[in-house]
Amino acid sequence: MNELIAVMVILPIASALFLNLLHNKDRTIKILAFITAIILPVIPLIATYGAHFFGGYVPLAQNMTIGQNLPSLITGTQLFQFHPGIVYLFNSAQQLMIFILCLIAFFAIFTSINEIKRPSGVYAFLMFMGTASVSAILLSDDIFNLFVFFEIAALAQVGIIVASGIKNNYETALKYILLGNIAGPLLLLGIALLLGITGNVNITDIIFSIKNGLVDPHSPVILMALGLITFGWLYASGLPPFHTIKSAVYSKALPHGAALLQAFSVFSMVAIGIIILRIFSYLPFSKTAIIGISLLAMVLGITMAIVQTDFKRILGFLAVGELGYIGLGLGLGTAFGITAGLFQAVNEAIITAFLFIGFGTVLYKTRTSDTRKLGGMMFINPRLALLVLLAGFAMAGVPPLNAFQSKLMLIQASIQSGLPELGMIMILLSIVTFMTFMKAFYTIYMRPKPAELEVIDNKIPKSTIISMVVFLLVCIILGLFPQIATNSLQALAAGLV
Amino acid sequence: MVIDSQLMSFFTAGSLIVIGIFAALFLDNLIKKIIGLAFLADGVNLFIITMGYKAGGIVYILLPNMTISDFAQNASYPLPFALVLTSIVIGASTLAVMLGLVIVLNRRHGSLSASKILGEKESK
Repeated sequence: MNELIAVMVILPIASALFLNLLHNKDRTIKILAFITAIILPVIPLIATYGAHFFGGYVPLAQNMTIGQNLPSLITGTQLFQFHPGIVYLFNSAQQLMIFILCLIAFFAIFTSINEIKRPSGVYAFLMFMGTASVSAILLSDDIFNLFVFFEIAALAQVGIIVASGIKNNYETALKYILLGNIAGPLLLLGIALLLGITGNVNITDIIFSIKNGLVDPHSPVILMALGLITFGWLYASGLPPFHTIKSAVYSKALPHGAALLQAFSVFSMVAIGIIILRIFSYLPFSKTAIIGISLLAMVLGITMAIVQTDFKRILGFLAVGELGYIGLGLGLGTAFGITAGLFQAVNEAIITAFLFIGFGTVLYKTRTSDTRKLGGMMFINPRLALLVLLAGFAMAGVPPLNAFQSKLMLIQASIQSGLPELGMIMILLSIVTFMTFMKAFYTIYMRPKPAELEVIDNKIPKSTIISMVVFLLVCIILGLFPQIATNSLQALAAGLV
Repeated sequence: MVIDSQLMSFFTAGSLIVIGIFAALFLDNLIKKIIGLAFLADGVNLFIITMGYKAGGIVYILLPNMTISDFAQNASYPLPFALVLTSIVIGASTLAVMLGLVIVLNRRHGSLSASKILGEKESK
């Protein structure tokens, strides 16, 4: 059922467009959004692996009925091998990542329709559009198609910030879109340079041209394209110098929105990172640059988290720091390292979503995210506090939870690659992450409740608790049986080496 | 002196990109910043269109009296033009969103100064 590959993108877009039209029809919006959101994670599980050719345009070499009637001017060249239309590729790694993305989208939408009294069709539209865009970024083998969805994802993210109604959200949204309008055209310029030198926007064809000597692989044009595409990658993922704006974006979204936004960043980072590795990994400094940027993200993200007083900002910076681990795995460039990096991406997306929704319950009960004004939340709801604590343990890499396995794999990969220093840095920063989380947890949950703190007497919706329990179960399952994820990711990682 | 039109177009595209980046980074007025970003996007679009230019080329439409060989030898490369069309649509959408945000922020702050509007946020 290869048609389902396209449905992974088309269904959320169609649903988003329809939901956008429903004003003041709260019940209909809730039912439709829930049905679409629950279908989304199922599609990647039942779709078969392979390629989807939009318009049915397979390469001429695979379509002899058309190919044999063409003049030798075409058939005698490499044009015969190239893909004339947009191609989506779907394999076990994409299956896992899109499943996790859609699972987070489902729980973000499930939580939002229960926490928000009057759910907006526009908000659901933005969430579905973002999910569709990032799914397309993961699937697309066409670099221009990736750019289109990169821009749509950025617009959806801006919309989610604007829809939050949080103080100063418009300012953050404007900052983010202004930066996006520098990064987007520069990414497009990088794509244009690749198009100019190879005549293609299909990634497989670009690689074919480079590897078969159709273009000079060390041409300065290719180097410039690498730089420009890397700049777009940094923006999409929130790596330095975009780490500050990215954490601000998370803090200006509602908790369920932030849970989804960080998943967008993680999977965009992975998708574009994979493309950079696929096209440019033969350039020795490309991997070194990825490692350098990742280290910077880890150090800046985690150290900046320490000094924050807003728990959403703390989580935002910790999430950026965790992105560095993913980048390190990709930058190591070995099959084991890349598998570890991809596994870390899957884990981070789940854990950070878990933390945003978990800490979101504090915001729901107190209407504040300022840690200086908070305290004593453990005595109000100890079970929720325990769930949040476990989410923090997962992020820090405490066994037997999932990030322990991926971080252990990353450390092993760095030692195998002859870079044990990276392993040491990862261990040190994991300890700092743990300390930062525990400091925030103590301030919000364990210290005595400040007298002026007003706790609203509203019950936490069951959907929020269910979401957290499911995230915890996923963390435990992937922690105990990491091969569920790593088996799916190994083939992709091996193909990148 | 005959100046190569493709070279001139590349030069214009490069100028637009540089001016756009300068305006976006160094001008304080938000509208001017947005105009700079529009310059940047237009510069990139012009760059792509220029890449698709073929001296003496024909429009990429296969006419009834044309052989496939003639068409393949003379037609311009259509892909850059198709990409630019999409890029223009995306650019228009993001421009509209940016201007919408600036309208709201101008009403709130009574100013179009980026340092005042975007700088205030951090101090609050």
